[in-house]
Amino acid sequence: MIRISLLFISLLLPILSPAAVRVVTTLPDLADIAQAIGGERIEVDHIVRGDQNPHFIEVKPSYMMKLKRADIFIMVGMELELWAPQIIDGSRNDRLEVLDLSTIGVEKLEVPTRVDRSQGDVHRFGNPHYWLDPRNIRPIANAILRSLVRAAPDEEPFFRKNMAAYLATLDTKIVEWEELMRPLAGANIITFHRSWSYFARWLGIIVSDQVEPKPGIPPSPTHTAELIDLVKEGKIRAIVVAPFYDLTAPEKISAETQAQVIVLPTSVGGVSGTDTYISMMDHNVKTLYEALQP
Amino acid sequence: MESPPRIVLTIVLTCITTPLQGLAQLSLNPDISVIPRFILETNDGEKLDDGVRQFSRPQLKFQELEMALQGYLNPYARADIFLTVPGPDVEEARVGIEELYASVLRGLPLDLNIRVGKYRVEYGKFNRLHPHQWPFATQPLAQTAFLGEEGLNDLGISASILLPTGDLYTALTADILSGAAAGEAAGIEDTTGRAPYYSATARLMSFLPIGDDGDLELGLSGYTGIHDPYNRDRFVYINLDFKYKYRPSSYTSLTVQGEFLHNMRKAHQNHDLEQYQDPEGTPLEVSIRSSGLFLFADFQWARIYTMGARYDWSQTPYSSDDRAQAIAVFLGYYPVEETLGIRLHYQHTRWQMAENTRSVNMIGLQLLFSLGVHKAHPF
Repeated sequence: MIRISLLFISLLLPILSPAAVRVVTTLPDLADIAQAIGGERIEVDHIVRGDQNPHFIEVKPSYMMKLKRADIFIMVGMELELWAPQIIDGSRNDRLEVLDLSTIGVEKLEVPTRVDRSQGDVHRFGNPHYWLDPRNIRPIANAILRSLVRAAPDEEPFFRKNMAAYLATLDTKIVEWEELMRPLAGANIITFHRSWSYFARWLGIIVSDQVEPKPGIPPSPTHTAELIDLVKEGKIRAIVVAPFYDLTAPEKISAETQAQVIVLPTSVGGVSGTDTYISMMDHNVKTLYEALQP
Repeated sequence: MESPPRIVLTIVLTCITTPLQGLAQLSLNPDISVIPRFILETNDGEKLDDGVRQFSRPQLKFQELEMALQGYLNPYARADIFLTVPGPDVEEARVGIEELYASVLRGLPLDLNIRVGKYRVEYGKFNRLHPHQWPFATQPLAQTAFLGEEGLNDLGISASILLPTGDLYTALTADILSGAAAGEAAGIEDTTGRAPYYSATARLMSFLPIGDDGDLELGLSGYTGIHDPYNRDRFVYINLDFKYKYRPSSYTSLTVQGEFLHNMRKAHQNHDLEQYQDPEGTPLEVSIRSSGLFLFADFQWARIYTMGARYDWSQTPYSSDDRAQAIAVFLGYYPVEETLGIRLHYQHTRWQMAENTRSVNMIGLQLLFSLGVHKAHPF
């Protein structure tokens, strides 16, 4: 009888005990931050892998299933994830809270004054790669905290404590990164896509041009030739490419100039050894620092 | 194709001519995209009746213009309108409605989704695709033979539920259709003026991730309706479909996709089917079984290039003796993302009808461009 009672209780426990808050994010970076705040009291998953281009994610039913079970869906917004509305609709989850982090007051760069396809695959609401400026992580973390607290009010002290610890670590690293890069302020780089505008502005690095002639437009021979001249004239030392882009054009530029091609991940897990947001930024800052050395 | 109601044209013109007065205004308009298709085509079958096999002078043809208007109606539902101007006659072409439906996406019990209107039915995987989404330039023979030039596209009501299969995405979709598509495609045209008999479809599909980079979708569909309104003869189609996609990187992928359709129907002799008359002229009731299949692979090896091949085999709805086979190879070039596509398509098709055999080689260079919103690609 006791055994039967224990079995019955064990079966009921998952139903009676409050379920962990289930969070799904688009990028692994946001998942890492959410996990740092929620700890073991939340379940976190993400859609995009660090080595995938977040602009071009195929709408898969498996992603819809992730959102179907989720309480909170966190996205970058600003039309980075054009695929997200289809996944949200396909999830059939009426109670899903969608947190668009672009609405929390982060300063937006490169907001276009003209929107048409002659400008390439331009984002109407500005450059969405704002998570690559680590100073933006504080408002992002606060927004995630507010969502988690709404979902699990009793856990607020736990979440707040975790967030404070995380931001303290991050602040220390920001100071370290800024000190490292300060002597290189004003250095010029070329990037493949406009992924690095926030990152470069934070460190005082100047992005002279992109390998793409316009956002989202594949490199052309003419533009590549122009970039070779630009690199030679401007003594540009680094061409920054995310892991998912074709290296053909950057390597052609590199072969004819002194510039070094460096592959920097825009998201956690994009290259090995970047399993957290802080380790990814650490990798990016230090790799760029090395590449910019005279 | 019938002209759409004037109100639809008014909506379209209003959407196009409304100036973009800031982003808030923009976001209230439906998403608009326009995709025309042209083809430069030649084949060696036009003079076969004269005993001559030679390629015709390549002709540039307008195939179709599709205009999509899509957006949310309210927090619970969205509407999708696809207007079409079919070719090849550019001057006399009339606007038609390819799809016009509203979908209720949330707020219903059991997470039910409802779709009402005219739409390409979720029968198999391929039927939902518009021609510009195909990686090749021609429709598979089995689709044309059993579903018609436009695929299975009808007025109807569709309901879809997700089945409780854990982490596995499994959906069941069922449709009640007006039945008009059955007569237009693989049936007998009803000239009595009576309303067509309803038809029905259902599809059960599952989606299975395979490893980090691969996904497989499997589907089983059924379609039944009245193909002969004079004798109330019914047909039943059973369709198996699969799609596997392996995408190890953003610009490399391999898609393998195919469908098999089996047709079962009773048929009577009538004015369209004289072959079912016995020597004494007595109408016969016959039971017909026939099938069709297609299988293709599409390989993207760089950001802007794709290549692939397709195999078709098909009998016809009224005969297992009449059959056709085709082999096609195709090359896709997308120099500036999805805004411009060029497809080179070669196809060898061989028909065998009774004692006669005929084969034709076709070469087409298809050009399409896309103006407006780019939506994410569904699997």
